[in-house]
Amino acid sequence: MSRTTVASEYSAEIQSTPIEHRFNPYSDNGGTVLGIAGKDFAVLAGDTRHVTGYNINSRYEPRVFDVGDNIVMTANGFAADGKALIDRFKNQIKWYKFNNGGKKLEMQSAARYIQQLLYGKRFFPYYVSTLIAGLDEEGRGAVYSYDPVGSYEREQCRAGGAAASLIMPFLDNQVNFKNQFIPGTDGKEKRPFEYLSLQEVIELVKDAFNSAAERHIHVGDGLEILIVTKDGVRTEYSPLKRD
Amino acid sequence: MSDPSSINGGAAVAMVGKDCVAIASDLRLGNQSLGVSNNFEKVFQFGDKTFLGLTGLASDVTTLSQVFRLKTNLYKLREERSIEPQTFANLVSSTLYEKRFGPYFIGPIVAGLDSKTDKPFICGFDLIGCIDFAKDFIVSGTASDQLYGMCESLYEPNLEPEDLFETISQALLNAVDRDALSGWGCVVYVITKDRVVKRVLRTRQD
Amino acid sequence: MFLTRSEYDRGVLTFSPEGRIFQVEYSLEAIKLGSTAIGIATLEGVILGVEKRVTSSLLEHTSIEKIVEIESHIGCAMSGLTADARSMIDHARVEAVTHSLHYDEQILVETLTQSVCDLALRFGEGAQGEKRLMSRPFGVALLIAGYDKDKGPQLYHAEPSGTFYRYDAKAIGSGSEGAQAELQNEYHKLLTLKEAELLALKVLKQVMEEKLDCKNAQLASVTKDGGFVVYSDEKTDEIIKELTKQQAESEDSVAEAVALEAQH
Repeated sequence: MSRTTVASEYSAEIQSTPIEHRFNPYSDNGGTVLGIAGKDFAVLAGDTRHVTGYNINSRYEPRVFDVGDNIVMTANGFAADGKALIDRFKNQIKWYKFNNGGKKLEMQSAARYIQQLLYGKRFFPYYVSTLIAGLDEEGRGAVYSYDPVGSYEREQCRAGGAAASLIMPFLDNQVNFKNQFIPGTDGKEKRPFEYLSLQEVIELVKDAFNSAAERHIHVGDGLEILIVTKDGVRTEYSPLKRD
Repeated sequence: MSDPSSINGGAAVAMVGKDCVAIASDLRLGNQSLGVSNNFEKVFQFGDKTFLGLTGLASDVTTLSQVFRLKTNLYKLREERSIEPQTFANLVSSTLYEKRFGPYFIGPIVAGLDSKTDKPFICGFDLIGCIDFAKDFIVSGTASDQLYGMCESLYEPNLEPEDLFETISQALLNAVDRDALSGWGCVVYVITKDRVVKRVLRTRQD
Repeated sequence: MFLTRSEYDRGVLTFSPEGRIFQVEYSLEAIKLGSTAIGIATLEGVILGVEKRVTSSLLEHTSIEKIVEIESHIGCAMSGLTADARSMIDHARVEAVTHSLHYDEQILVETLTQSVCDLALRFGEGAQGEKRLMSRPFGVALLIAGYDKDKGPQLYHAEPSGTFYRYDAKAIGSGSEGAQAELQNEYHKLLTLKEAELLALKVLKQVMEEKLDCKNAQLASVTKDGGFVVYSDEKTDEIIKELTKQQAESEDSVAEAVALEAQH
């Protein structure tokens, strides 16, 4: 034998080929999240199931957080990275207040700053899809969404995480009225955009998550909706399928 | 993206309504990100009220549609009646399983009404012929995730033909708009006991 | 003030037994040698005015730069060793644009002022191990004028000691004592921007040795809509003319009053 290798110091097994060892720094903890902006409110919802592979680690692990200054945030994907990002952002809000005489961090500033946090790890990214929701300077609902390295956009609605591909077309259809036309116009006149009420939005979120939980094994157990209005952040919980 | 089943792109869906079924597909044929044709129907008729939707590798779609044309023609000659959806589903299954170790890269779905009872029938298959009987809807193709999300939230049982048409159309339209490999037009068949209505939908062309 | 020199004179890192750091105190003296600069904050905006010492008829007056832009909503006037201000302005500009990059909003005037003052103490090592940047304190003071959504028009005075205060109106430089006294007399909260322009020039005129013109004085303003703007020579000239006219009128009326008095 020209060359021999052993798997470790404790292994007696001898092989003729080199053994490759590799540390994988990322994993996927499932879950899905969804944000919708209304006229004078915004919601950010996420299921509460936490998984690795086929194992359910927790049926109630909150993934949407109130980070202060009337902003709610979630970073869905690899849970450790998500937690690290949110903690770091909360920390930076404190520093912002120290440096700026206690000024409230506006939505657009929060949005830009999170880009900086994400792009700061351009070559070892946080493995998450990030969403924040709140009110803009005029008091209108705002949702911002990010890719893992900080590319961001303000949107009316966005789904992220495991079942994003299931929920997103539903949102296009029911929030932005995509592919809907005014009856009798022979498909020539689009149904105009109008804001949904908070009640309608919450029902839509529940429908979306029930559908996702039905078909996706990484989604289920519970649904937590954080609602941002000018009066602050409110949380609503409802159960989802547990199978 | 050397996965054969997602080179050409495409999506198909079938739904059950009250004494009716609907089956629909997009019209795109592509070569990876390049769009090649906007007139590539993926729904085929093999009996009076028996339809097959075929997504996947386009060459296999064409080949299989011809294989089934041959087999259903022979069936009609021998039996002197057109094939029932149930029977056709089993034909599809056994044909696919024959190629167990060198499969066609397709995702077939079958929809139709039984000629005697007028009972709606739909089912789907994996690429080696395992049948998935469903009571409500079946999806297939590169936009299957999106279709699952749409159907699961829009579908309700016992829809009248017109409402079924609206539901399946909205499901397909919005699903393919979130899939780069599907779209470029849609076709919808609504099958009731007295007639089959085919509609081509106007869609966004990007 | 300091009649006897002591061994604590030269060290910037050492307190004297009386608790003073002489070099910092001397730096304040350097400012008193500088040309006069004035800032006036009104509800409409802030006016900055500076004296430019045109020491020779061959000197190109536009090359004397004592009012500079920091960001579109902040400007500053300087007095003292103006060369020292270069690094402060550079630092301030970097802070301002970095803030916009990071937060997609304009930096607060107070935050900007604080960051400039942080730099003023870098003649020693920083608490977090930052390198010592300079051998001595700055020899220049700044009047920082700006507008932000939080606090509106603001005027700050930043000193080499690293402290800063917000003012309604402030004068620095050689003529500061007289100028400050005059500002004290003339300032009120309801001053318009127009009135502040005239007041700034009037005060400068009083403390300057040369005759006031658009070559040896410069004005700038910061407003909500216009941001920071340095006035053109033509505009400055017009304001000087108006000031002269106003003063002539009031002198006339004073003369009339005196004449009337005499009649009685």
